[in-house]
Parts: sequence; structure tokens; C-alpha cells
Amino acid sequence: MNPIEPSGKRFSTWFSADNLFTGVIMAFLLVILAVFLLYPVVDICRLSFFKDGAFSLHNYLDYFSEPRIFRSFYNSMFVSTVTMVITTVLAFLFAYGLTRTTMPGKGFFYTVSTLPLIAPTIIQALALILLFGRNGVITRYLLDTSWNIYGATGIIVGEILYCFPNALFILYTTLSAVDTRLDEAAQSLGASALKTFFKVTLPSAKYGIASAAALTFNLTITDFGIPVVIGGDYSVLATEIVNKVFGLQRFDLGATISVILLVPSITAFAINYYLTRKSYAMISGQARPFIQPSRPLKKWAFTAYSALICACILLVFITVFLGSFVKTWPYDFSLTLKHFDFPSLGASVPLWTAFWNSVLEPGTFRTMIAIKYAPIWTSLLVSLVVAVVGASITLVAAYIIEKKKPRGEQLLYALSVLPAAIPGVVLGLGYVLAFNKPYFLIYGTIWIIIINVVIANFTLGVLSGTANLKQIDKSVEEAAVSLGAGPVTTFTRIVFPLSKVAFLSTTTFYFMRAMTTISAVLFLVSAQIKLAAIEIIFLDVDGRTASANAMCTVVVLIVALFLIVMRITTGSSGFTGMSASK
Amino acid sequence: MGRDLKLENLTKRYGHLTAVDHVDLEIQEGEFICFLGPSGCGKTTVLRMITGFETVTEGKVIFDNRVINDLIPKKREFGIVFQSYALFPNMTVEENIAFGLKMRKMPKKVIAERVDVMLDLIGLSGWRRLYPAQLSGGQQQRVALVRALAPDPQVLLLDEPLSALDAKIRLRLRAEIKRLQQELKKTMIHVTHDQEEALSIADRVVVMEGGQFRQVGRPIDIYKNPTCSFVADFVGTSNFFKGSRTGDVVDIRKRKIKVKKNGAGVEEAVSLAIRPENVEVFKKEAPPRVDEPMNLVSGRIEVVVFQGAAVRLLINIDGEEVIADINEKEFGQRSLKRGDEIYLYFPPEAFLVFADGEGKK
Repeated sequence: MNPIEPSGKRFSTWFSADNLFTGVIMAFLLVILAVFLLYPVVDICRLSFFKDGAFSLHNYLDYFSEPRIFRSFYNSMFVSTVTMVITTVLAFLFAYGLTRTTMPGKGFFYTVSTLPLIAPTIIQALALILLFGRNGVITRYLLDTSWNIYGATGIIVGEILYCFPNALFILYTTLSAVDTRLDEAAQSLGASALKTFFKVTLPSAKYGIASAAALTFNLTITDFGIPVVIGGDYSVLATEIVNKVFGLQRFDLGATISVILLVPSITAFAINYYLTRKSYAMISGQARPFIQPSRPLKKWAFTAYSALICACILLVFITVFLGSFVKTWPYDFSLTLKHFDFPSLGASVPLWTAFWNSVLEPGTFRTMIAIKYAPIWTSLLVSLVVAVVGASITLVAAYIIEKKKPRGEQLLYALSVLPAAIPGVVLGLGYVLAFNKPYFLIYGTIWIIIINVVIANFTLGVLSGTANLKQIDKSVEEAAVSLGAGPVTTFTRIVFPLSKVAFLSTTTFYFMRAMTTISAVLFLVSAQIKLAAIEIIFLDVDGRTASANAMCTVVVLIVALFLIVMRITTGSSGFTGMSASK
Repeated sequence: MGRDLKLENLTKRYGHLTAVDHVDLEIQEGEFICFLGPSGCGKTTVLRMITGFETVTEGKVIFDNRVINDLIPKKREFGIVFQSYALFPNMTVEENIAFGLKMRKMPKKVIAERVDVMLDLIGLSGWRRLYPAQLSGGQQQRVALVRALAPDPQVLLLDEPLSALDAKIRLRLRAEIKRLQQELKKTMIHVTHDQEEALSIADRVVVMEGGQFRQVGRPIDIYKNPTCSFVADFVGTSNFFKGSRTGDVVDIRKRKIKVKKNGAGVEEAVSLAIRPENVEVFKKEAPPRVDEPMNLVSGRIEVVVFQGAAVRLLINIDGEEVIADINEKEFGQRSLKRGDEIYLYFPPEAFLVFADGEGKK
């Protein structure tokens, strides 16, 4: 008897729910990334290369032939290079202290060093101005000197403080992964401590070091917040783009500078990405043995060094906090709350206004909370939506990439990683060019901002998602399928619960980014839609430095509160037996 | 005829690499089949094509007289037990077992009863509310076993289920799987690289190498009558000699050896294999009387390995090493020890003769 062949060959495979599920989501993700990532960037390139409908390098000739404008390129490269070198050295020593010595207070040092991540990048600039600016407490009050920090010095110091935790994270991972027994082996073979450091420790961490350097360079050259506040006349590429667009309404020049900025930023990102993979390949995976007790001199030298760095970071926060509570910095240090009564910022969010009107009595306090704080409520709303949407969509993208591996998976991966290489200012400008059209209905609403922030930070979400999903044994999913679960059930019942920790950390990351990001959304705010982080800049530009400090303080407090809430809720909901089946 | 599983001309290629090379097999309902082979021989790929997690390049997988090549895994309703247990770490033992039943939308009451039955089957009723990470490896694999059995699958596929376990637990669980199979009379297909496991558990063993089936048969046949030198070598231990045969005499370089009369008088290259337990050992002072003096050779005991009931001797004959197993009692009675000069006797009928070219080594 001949076996029965299914009629319609391969029909059942092709239209299986699984392929349909993967295909639909894949198509959805590709469309989203094409429309909201590629299209704006392509639009910028188009605008910079075409004049009156014809291809032309006119804009570029303009740029490079005008020395005054060309300066911004040189300045950017200079500032970024200096920041890169100093930050990498400082962060490496800090990471070395944390991983290779027995100094006390490691947990405290590590926590403090990550603080800059919870604040908008301008916080460093604001603090430096309060300390070393024209009316700085140190420059004016203590030293009474006419020297001040505006310009390249200010940008470099600010960027170092901002980039420090990012570089530290890479170096910390590298140094804790490299087997310390190599050091011990070298020393047992008769190498001196110094020789061991230069011949063994340093070379084994070389990829991590280079990768941290490239990341620092990329972060600095793409940053807008610090140079705009503290740069003064010292123009860099990111501020130049904004000047050309806001000041001169010259979108074509803005687009041209954007393309010029893309070159070093994509290069630095590519180097960082390539080296990170290389450096992770060197991780031995062996348990880290006991670190031998450091000699007292080494121990205390590193403790003092780490304490100094942490003091600088804390000083930034303390200064800005103080700056928002004292009457007239640096002359009158009596405390006041008046800076928190922001000047009428003019925008309102109907939803929030209605909410506050219903809970608060009419009066000046209600006006302040409901109207003057509107940008804060908008930021909060945007950030909450971004956190949930961003974490979900990147987890799904990571799942498709890591577990489903459909055709075109590499394209999806490339597009998912790309956003980190595109400076926020460039992406923001691209959004204006691409979507400021009457038929594009969500332009001018908070939705375009939400989409922008989700896309701009896609990379980290996807990378942390794939890293987490790699740890889930493939057979766990196959077990679910063999027991009759469809693709959706497998995802919701098995994959998602197992990715919960990564999902929550991505949620936190997105929330932080949405609350603190400046460059990406700068072009997307309007008289109706305002965001807290952007208002810090506008207040500062208006000369209301104290209010800028106050706004910055509010943002930092909201992020800190969110972190605490997340820590408490997820800490108690973590279920026993989560730690994989192996 | 029951719901048989048939592999017809089954082939899997990855680019130029052929992982499974045109294999055929019929598995009867209720049969316990074991795929045995070294790693990379294609046994897991065959299993995965049966489960549906791997697509078929060529040939057919037929179940219950229907070609199921293109049927998605979910629709096949085959149970699978994985080497890594693959329990859902976010669910308790009973939630794990109930998962497949829930997916089949069974009523709550039926699910609860079935879960109880399954837990009884493996004696883990008291552990139902624990999470997998709180169980030992052996317990986890038992849970995985009944999780796969709970929905009453047509076929149970076991992918090296015991490889990740300790030796003692492996033996216990092996017996338990055999018991379950006999009780439930379910078709089971088991993949392993452990020959002892395969021989002890299966009704029929399929020995694989290089993507092909080298031999299919009952464990005893596989052991006693291997059809090629690969099987003789991979299953159990064998001493090999290469030589050329004329009639019943094989010339192995330094000497001639008599084998069972077999084949014509044409000269051909052959491999001889003999199991260590079939090699007889005698003290030099007490030479035995044997049927074929040609097969009596002298040597020296180089190494003595105590293996419990048996003692393994590594014996040097003119620079070549031969393994002989004798039982522990005999070893004691003959007071053999390392360095002793001895006689070895190879009974002609104990030799397996393989024409060279049919199998390697």
C-alpha cells in the first residue's frame, strides 16, 4: 500500500502559523525601521547632495571653503580626541581598581560612577558653569580670576564626566572577564608587578580599551547638550547643525554638516562594535578566582583615586541641586524654592491638565503644577510609553533575530544596530525633513517624539535582548512546540517570562533615555509639545540658569524615583528557580 | 498493522555536507528503537527529521501510512525528551507536566488527574510545586520524560536523554525508561552514543556512521554478529588484525592464523576481529592442548586492569598489543600477574572476518 502524500505539496509548511507569525513581525519591523530610520537619513543625504533637483557638491564646497564654518569640524575632532584619550585612561584605572585590587568600598564606587547615566548630558555643563563659569563659585568667589571654563576646556571636562560610566562599563567587563590567573602566572614566572601590568594585563584588555575609546569618541562627537551650554563661541558639528537650521533656516547646510558628522560617528561606532565582539570572544568563561590581597600602597592609592573620581561626579550633582535651591549663585546662598516656579512655559497637555485640575484646589499652586510643569508631565508620559513600547519592540526584534533566524535576518540585525551610529541631532533633523508634511498626521504630536526615541535607542535594546535570548536553550522552545504550543503561546508563556529580567532592564534604560535625551528630540518639540530636558536648554539660553538647574534637578529626581520603584517591584517579583535549568 | 513509522530513502544535506545519506527503516508500533553512533554520525539529524524540527532534503518520513515530511512539529504530536531536559524554568513541576495537556485544551479536571498519574509514574508526587532548578538532574529528566508522555503522544523521541547525568543515575533512569516503555507499549526512538545503553535498552539497535546505517538488528546480533568492522569496533571492544586470506588461513604479517572455513580459495585483504573475552590465556608452564596449534601464540602480560567481575589483560605479542578479558576467579586460580610470559589462544570460530573496503579500520 502506498503511503498517502499530502495534497498540495509544501502547503502546510508554507502557511504554518509559525512562518506566518515570523513573517508578519519581520515585515512590520523592517517597515518601521525603513520608514523611521533609513528614510530620514536618506532624506538628509539627498538634501545635502542635491541642489534644485540636480546632483551637486555645492553644499560641501561651501562648507569646506569657509574656514569659519570648517572650524566646527576641526573643533569636534579635537574635543572628541582629547576626551577619548583622557576618559579611557581614567576609566581604565578605575576599572582596574574595581577588578584587580582589594580596595574597600567597591560597590559604592561603582554605583556612584554610573550616576551620570540618569541625568541629561547638560547637567555636567550646568555644574561646571556654576563652579568655573563667569559667576562660578570657584572662579569668581574663591579665586577671583577672570579665567573661565567656557569653550573647549568646558566641553572636554563635561564630556569626560558624561562619558566616564560608558567607558567604565566596557573596561570593567573586559577586566573582570580576563583571567586574573594570567597575571599570577606571569608573576610566578618572575615578572615584576609593573612588567606584568604592561606585558600581560594591558595587552589582554586591548580590545576592550580600544572599544571604550571608540565609544567615548562617538558619544562626544555626537553630543549636543554639553557644547550648547558651555561651548560659548566654540562651535562643534552638532551645535553647528542646530545653528544653521534654527538660526538661519538653512536646512541644506544643516543636512550637509549632518552628513559630515555621520562619517566620524559611524566610523567610531563600527570600530567599537567590531572590537566589542572581539573582546567578548576573549572571555574565558572561567570562574574568577580569588584576588590576592593588594599591597597597602597600591590599595590606598586606588582607593584615593576612585574616591577622587566619585567626588567629582557627586560634585556635579550636588552643585546643580544646590544651584536650584539657592537665591543668587554665588552671592546669596540663602535657600529658596522660587526657581522651581518655572516661568510660564506656555504648553499644556490636556490630559494632565484635566488630571491636576481634578486633584488640586484652584490657585497658584495648581497653575504651577498643571501649567508651568507641563513639560515635565509630557516628558513623563512620553518616557512611560517609550519604556513599554521600546522594551517590547526590541525584545520581539531580538527574538526574531536570535531565535527565528528567518531570511533577511541579517538585514534586520544591521538596521537594528544602526541607530547607535546615527547622532541624535542628525536623526532629529532627518525627522523634520522627512515627516514635516501635512499628510503625515503624527508630526507635531507626542507620537513622533515617542517613535524617535524608540528608534534612536533601538541598538541597546536589541543587543541586550539577543544576549539574554542566547542563554535560553533552544530545546526549551522546541519542547513547547512539541507539546503543541503555537508560536504566540511559546513566546508569551516561555520566552517572555524567561526574558523578564532583560525586558525590565531595557524598560528602565528606555525610560532614562526618554527623560534625559536632548539631541534627538530637539527638532521635534514645539510650542504645544515641550519636554523637560529640552526646557533645561531653553531656560539656560534665556539666562534663567537657576531655573535650568531646578528643571534638571526635577528630571534627575524623577529618573531616580523610577529606578527605585523598579528595583523594589522587580526585586520582590523575581520568582524562585528562575536561574535556568542547567 | 499498527501505526508504523517508516523512513524511506531519507537524506539530509547541508550545502555540500551530507549528514544523513539515503537511509531506510521500518519501525513497528510499540517498538523500542535505538540509534547508536559516534558524535557527528547523523543520528540526531535523523531524529530531528522525525520530529519535524529539521526539514527533509530527500526521501520520506511516513507515519501511519501518511507522508509527514511537511507536517509542522506541533501537528505530529510526537513527544520529545531532550538531552538538556528543557524543562520550563518559570513553571513548577506540575505546570510543566500540564503544559502539553493545556495546549490540547483538555478540561481542568482531566488535566489534574493526568498530572497525578504522571507524577505517580515517576514517584515525584511530593515535588509537584517545586521549580526545575530545585530538582536534581535525574529528577528533572524524569519530569521531562512524563511531560512528554502526558499528552499520550503517538511516538516518544529521546535525544540523548541520559548523557547529561551521572553514571549511577544514568543506570537507574535507563531502567526506568525501559520499564515505562514496556508498561505503556509506546513506540520509542532513542538516540545515544553510549553502546552499553543502546544494547541494554532497545528492541532493535541502528548503528550509524557517516550518515549511513551500518547495521540494524537486535542487540545480541549487533554484538555477536557485527556485519562490518566499524560495528565490531564501535560496539564492545575488539582486537583487530589485518591480513590476507586464502581459504581458511589468514596471513597477518608475522604469522598465519586459522579461521572458520568460509569463502573460496581466492586471496583477499581482510580484517580479523576477536572479542577480548574470546581470547584464551594460559601460563607458559602449562601449555594447553588445542585444536589449531597455529593459533597458539606466546606473549607477555604488560598491564593488568581490574574491572570488577572481569580482569582485562594487555598482552604484548612481538610488539603488538592484544586485549584479553578473563573472569576474576580464573585470574586468581591461575595466579597470573604483570610480566608473566603466557600463551594466547585464538579459537578459529571466534574470529569475525571482514573483507577490507567494506568498513574502515
